[in-house]
Amino acid sequence: MNDIKLGQYVHGNSLIHSLDPRTKIICCTFIVIGILSSHNFWYLLAFLGLILVAIKYSGTPLSSIWRSMRGIRYLLLITFLFQAVLTQGEAVFQVGALSVTREGVVIGLINLLRLVILFLGSILLLMTTTPMKLSAGLEFLLLPLNKIKIPVQYFTTIISIAFRFIPTLVEESLSIKDAQRSRGARFDSPKILSNLKSYLAILIPLLASSMLRAEDLAEAMDSRCYGGNPNQYRMRTLKYDRVDIYLIIFMAIVLLAGLLI
Amino acid sequence: MDGIQLIDVSKEFKTADSYKVALSSINFTIHEGEYIGILGLNQSGKSTLARLLNGLLKPTRGRVLINGMDTDSPQQLKEIRQLLGIVFPNPDNQLICPIVEEEIAFGPENLGLSPSEVHKRVSWALEIVGMQEMRNHAPHLLSGGQKQKVALASVLAMEPSYLVLDEPTSMLDPLSRREVLEHLRMINQENHMTIILISHNPEDLMDAKRLIVLNEGSIYMQGTPKEVYGDMGKLGAVGLNPPGLYQLIQQLEEEGYRIDDNFETIPQLVEKICQK
Ligand SMILES: Nc1ncnc2c1ncn2[C@@H]1O[C@H](COP(=O)(O)OP(=O)(O)OP(=O)(O)O)[C@@H](O)[C@H]1O
Ligand SMILES: [Mg+2]
Repeated sequence: MNDIKLGQYVHGNSLIHSLDPRTKIICCTFIVIGILSSHNFWYLLAFLGLILVAIKYSGTPLSSIWRSMRGIRYLLLITFLFQAVLTQGEAVFQVGALSVTREGVVIGLINLLRLVILFLGSILLLMTTTPMKLSAGLEFLLLPLNKIKIPVQYFTTIISIAFRFIPTLVEESLSIKDAQRSRGARFDSPKILSNLKSYLAILIPLLASSMLRAEDLAEAMDSRCYGGNPNQYRMRTLKYDRVDIYLIIFMAIVLLAGLLI
Repeated sequence: MDGIQLIDVSKEFKTADSYKVALSSINFTIHEGEYIGILGLNQSGKSTLARLLNGLLKPTRGRVLINGMDTDSPQQLKEIRQLLGIVFPNPDNQLICPIVEEEIAFGPENLGLSPSEVHKRVSWALEIVGMQEMRNHAPHLLSGGQKQKVALASVLAMEPSYLVLDEPTSMLDPLSRREVLEHLRMINQENHMTIILISHNPEDLMDAKRLIVLNEGSIYMQGTPKEVYGDMGKLGAVGLNPPGLYQLIQQLEEEGYRIDDNFETIPQLVEKICQK
């Protein structure tokens, strides 16, 4: 269980790690707006370069990012192919009844770049920010919603509990699967129905144990005085440095540049 | 009025067709600074008792008072839970946060302490359980024993006056078990925290100054370890064996030796006998 999982926080001491989570969330929002509103290929390419520099700077191993990129390779391929084929325009070459158009290739490349940038940006955010800091940042930025009676602090608690328990649940489902398998259950049967049954036999014990877990967890939280009030402490540790401000200004300029060209 | 008081406490659970009596007519008082051991086999009601102490469960009859505050009154629950911390038996289900450090900060945060104070307490608690180097780890990557230590630290960081531990050593190997018990003894002596240690293993409770033995929901025996463990017949009747040290003392006394002092380890006893 020691391999780095996709998007899981990896401890480090880089500048990117030490940035305020709010800065990182705001910058990611800028990135999303920037790349979705620009149709300029070179602008997007420059953006990609920027993110790659940031990844290099964060000390996150490029190999693990490359590996996680492979997880979305089919999505990227399909996006590109569909755009290339389905866009009207000047045909470059013909495959049967389908023609690949010049405009299609350009739009395909642009969307490909957009997806890659979105993916890398969010991975970088997740890998350099502890879930707790992330939820503190989100809580701070969303707290104004409290005024219209949306209990933001509950959502962020739920998010952080999910971060804590997803790996545990995965482990548990694997061990239930092993237990079922050792009693003769098959998960690779050619019959879909019997496969389905086997997976149901994992799901039900998993649900039952999650219920018990939730009960225990509620008791533990109660015992430690959880009151569901906004987590002032966690947010008080948020601190803006000069770097944070520079970075936000820089990203705002990059965003504006994208909107103008 | 400081201390923990249970006045004629009973707890029944409603089951499908009848009532299950988990505890019946429990009376005892625990003073601040004591080290209490609660001993009992499975199903004897130990965990139910722990849950009653901080108001997670309400007694069916009787009253539970913590520093004079009744666990029945909702307004005082937060104060009661600040005073009395519980370490639960299953560490996997009581760790809430995705990072060890934040886990330990969870309780102090909820008490509304200043960030610097929270930070100080986190470091202190980690040091006590010897887990400083695990500060930035994810709890699910720790071993069972390490998780139990983190669970202990996260309650310690709230600096409760009373610390209740429900089978805290069930996943520990003998070495870490001794370590944790040693920590508890230190916390009791140096920080004057009241320790209430619940276990089914008599060896775990050697450091306690007073033992309460539960059997089928009632108090079966009470007294100093010497008194309780000395009565091998009565203890054996409910399926409990005294620790090796007390068995040894018993055998020596049967052979005609007089052992007057209190001993905590077998080497101490051997030394004393050799001096004679
Ligand atoms: N929520 C509940 N509903 C119904 N019965 C319960 C509940 N909790 C406990 N009991 C019953 O109360 C009795 C005492 O249980 P308790 O958990 O206190 O025992 P214990 O001494 O902690 O045992 P163990 O050593 O196994 O942890 C048991 O018979 C149990 O079945
Ligand atoms: Mg129990």
